[in-house]
Amino acid sequence: MTPDLLVALRAVFELQTLGFLAVGVVLGAIFGALPGLTATMGVAVLTPLTFWVSAEQGLAMLLGIYAGAIPAGGIPAILINVPGTPASIATSWDGYALSQRGQAGLALGLNAWMSLAGQLVSIVFLAVAAFPIATFALSFGPAEYFGLALFGISLMAGVSGKHVLKGLLAGCLGLALATVGLDPMTAYPRFNFGIADFLDGISFVPVMIGLFGLSEVLTQISEGAGRTQTAQADAKLGRTTPTGEEARRIAPAAFTGAAIGTLVGAIPAAGGDVGSVIAWEQTRRLARDKEIYGKGSLEGLSSAVAAANAAIGGAMTTMLTLGIPGDAVSAILIGALLIHGIQPGPLLFQNNRPFVFTLVLLMVLAAVLVFLLGLLGARPLARVLRVPNPWLWAGIVLFGTVGAYALNNAVVDVWAMYVAGVIGFLLRRATVPLGPLVLGLILGPMMEANLRRALILSRGDWTVPLTRPIVLFFLLATVVSLASPFFRRKSA
Amino acid sequence: MFARALLPALLLLAGCSTADGPYPSKEIRLIVQAAPGGTSDTVSRVMASLAEGPLGVPVVCENKPGASGALAFAFTVRRPPDGYTIGHAPVEIATVRSLGFADVGPDDMALICMVSKTPPALVVRTDAPWQSLDELLDAARKDPGGLIFSNSGTGSIWHFNTLLLEQRTGVRFTHLPYGGSSPALVSLLGGHVDAAIAGVGEVVAHVQSGKLRPLAVFDEARSSVFPDTPTTHELGYEFGAPAWSGFFGPKGVPDDRVAKLAGAFKQAFDSEEWKELCLERGMTPVYLDRDAFRTFALEQSDFFAGELPQLLRMER
Repeated sequence: MTPDLLVALRAVFELQTLGFLAVGVVLGAIFGALPGLTATMGVAVLTPLTFWVSAEQGLAMLLGIYAGAIPAGGIPAILINVPGTPASIATSWDGYALSQRGQAGLALGLNAWMSLAGQLVSIVFLAVAAFPIATFALSFGPAEYFGLALFGISLMAGVSGKHVLKGLLAGCLGLALATVGLDPMTAYPRFNFGIADFLDGISFVPVMIGLFGLSEVLTQISEGAGRTQTAQADAKLGRTTPTGEEARRIAPAAFTGAAIGTLVGAIPAAGGDVGSVIAWEQTRRLARDKEIYGKGSLEGLSSAVAAANAAIGGAMTTMLTLGIPGDAVSAILIGALLIHGIQPGPLLFQNNRPFVFTLVLLMVLAAVLVFLLGLLGARPLARVLRVPNPWLWAGIVLFGTVGAYALNNAVVDVWAMYVAGVIGFLLRRATVPLGPLVLGLILGPMMEANLRRALILSRGDWTVPLTRPIVLFFLLATVVSLASPFFRRKSA
Repeated sequence: MFARALLPALLLLAGCSTADGPYPSKEIRLIVQAAPGGTSDTVSRVMASLAEGPLGVPVVCENKPGASGALAFAFTVRRPPDGYTIGHAPVEIATVRSLGFADVGPDDMALICMVSKTPPALVVRTDAPWQSLDELLDAARKDPGGLIFSNSGTGSIWHFNTLLLEQRTGVRFTHLPYGGSSPALVSLLGGHVDAAIAGVGEVVAHVQSGKLRPLAVFDEARSSVFPDTPTTHELGYEFGAPAWSGFFGPKGVPDDRVAKLAGAFKQAFDSEEWKELCLERGMTPVYLDRDAFRTFALEQSDFFAGELPQLLRMER
C-alpha cells in the first residue's frame, strides 16, 4: 500500500499535473457559474484536449472541471437567485434569502466551506466503503428508482413553504410537463403537437434558467427595483466565515447533507440535483426552527451545498468500482479514461492501485483548490450586487439566452427559456412556489418510466415490488413524509 | 463555449459572400446528432481533427442531439448545399423516417462515405445458466415471454436486433426499454433482467472485467474483440443489423466538393489514430466510398421501412 501511495504522490505533485488541475478548476468554475453551461458540457468539450497529455494530467484537468463547476454553480444561485447548475437549485432557496438580508458574504463563505466539506466527506466514503456503496447502487432496479422518485416527489409539500396547496398544484404542472415527448416505453410521441423538437421532451436546463433567472428579472422590474438604481448597493458584504457557535450548529446539517448526497450520487441517473433537494428537506424536517428554512437558514444552505458536492464522490465511487457512470459527467470520464487505456471497474483496484490513489489525491487537491478559489473570490464576486440593477438584468438575460442555446445548439430551447420565464413570473405574482414545479419536471420521467418498467418485470402485479426492502423503505418514508404535518398539528 | 454559440451567427454572415473560389476556403461545420462524449461524438471529433490536415481548413463539430438524431438530420439537409455544413451519418439516418420522428432519409442527402461498423452482441451475466445462444433460445421456448431483455430504447437499433432475433427464431421475450445502452447494461449487471443486446464496443469492458458473457455476435465475421464468440451466421441464423458511422451533406452538394471531402476522410480513415480508436471502441473500420455508401444506406432504409413498423406493431 505504501509504495502505491508514494507512486501516486509523485504523480500528483508534479508541476504540470498541478497546473492542469488548476486550469481545470478555473475553467470548471466558469462553466459552473454561468447558467446553461454545465459541468457535463465542460468535461465533454475539453476531453479531446486530454488525448495529447498523460492520463494523470488529463484526468487532473477533467476532475478539476467537475470539482470546480458544482461549487461555482452555487455562486449565482446565492447572488442573483439563478442556479448555475441543476445541483444548485436548493442552494438558491436559503442562499439568495441570506444575500438579500445583506449576508451575501456569509452565504458565499459557507458555499465554499460546505463544498469542501461535502467533497471531502464523499471522498472519505469512497476511500473506506467504495464497494459496499457500489453494491447498494447496483441493487437499484426499476422498482427502487420508482420508490426514490416517489419519495422525492413527496417532498413537494415540504419545499412549498407557506403555500402548500399552490405548491402541490405547481408540482402537478411540473409532472404534466414531464410527460411531453416520446413515451419512454413505446416511443410513441406524446403532447408534442407534431413538433420534432419536443420529441425528447422539454429540456430541463433552459426551463430552469427561465423559471429562476428570467422570472427573477421580471419580478424585480415589475416591483420597480430599477428606480432605486441599486437596491443592494449599500448592502454590506458582511463577514465570510461563520462564528464558532454557527459552525457547531451547522456541522450536523452538513454531515447529513454530505451522507445523503454521497448515496444519491452513487445511484446511476440520480445526482446532485435530486440529492441536494432531499438533503435540504431532511435537514428541515429534523430541525427545530423549520419556519426559517427557505428564508435564510444557515443549516439549510449548508446541507444543500454539502449534498450537491458530495454527489461528486458518490458518482465517482460507482464509476471506479463498477465501471458504471454515476452521472452524466462520470460517463464522459469513463470515455476519457478508456482512451488512455484505463478501464474503470473492480479490476482497477487490483491491477492499478497507484492510479486509484492518484485519482483520490487529485480529487482531494481539487476540492482544496476550489475552496481557496471560492473564499478568495467571495469579495470580488459579491461586487456583482453593486452593479446597477438594469445592467445586472441585461446580463442575466444575455447569459441565460446564450446558455439555453449552447446546451443543445437549439433555438427552441431559447424559446422554452423565455416562455418558462414568463410563466415563472406569473406564478410568483400568484405566490405559487416554483420548487415543486422543478421537482416534478426532474422526477416525473424517472418515476413514470421506472414504474412502468417495474410493472413489466412483475408482469403487472403491483404487489411484487412491495417485497423489496429498499422499495418498502422509500414507500414508508413517503407515507411518513406526507403524514407528519398532520400529526404535528394535532400534538401542537 | 461562446465561440461555439456565436460561430453559427458569424458563419451566416460569412456565408453571404462565398460561393466561388477554390473549395474549401473557410471553416466546415460538422453537425453531430448525439450529445458530447458518446461514440458518435468521438468518431466525429476524431475524424474531423484528422481531416483538417488534408482539407486545410478547420472542421468544427456542433452537437444537436434529440429524437434519435432526426433533429440534426432535418437541420443539416436544409442547409445550403455548399459543402460547408455536413453531418455525421449513423444508422439512424435509415430508421428515423420509419419510426415517424421526421421525414428525412438517405435519399435527401449527398452521402460522402462510411468509416466504421459496430455489430451487436447478445450478453448475459457470467453467473447465468446459459452457455450458448441455443441454450438461451431453448429456455425461451419453454417459457415464452419469460426471459427479459433490456434494450437501449424502443425503436433503437439494438432493440430492433432483439426483435429480429425473436422473429427469425420464433421465440418470445419480454422487452424492457431504457434511454440508451448504458442504463440497459446497468440493469443487466444489477441482475434485474436476464440478457441484453448492445454494441460490441459497449459491452467489451464488462466482458473483460468478468461480469458479462457474450453468447453471440450478430454479424457474418467474428469480432476482433470477441474472437471466441460465435456469430449468428455460423449458428445458422442469417441476420444482424449493425450500427455504422459515415458522413453526409445536404442533397445537391457539387460532386467535386463531395469528392474532396471523401478524399480527406479517406486519408483520416487510413491513419493509425483511427485504427486505434476503432480497436478501443469495438468498431470495425470499414470504408465505403460515396457510391457504395449510397447503395448501402438506401438498402438499409428500405430494409427498416419494411421490417420496423411490422416488428414494432408486434410489440406494441
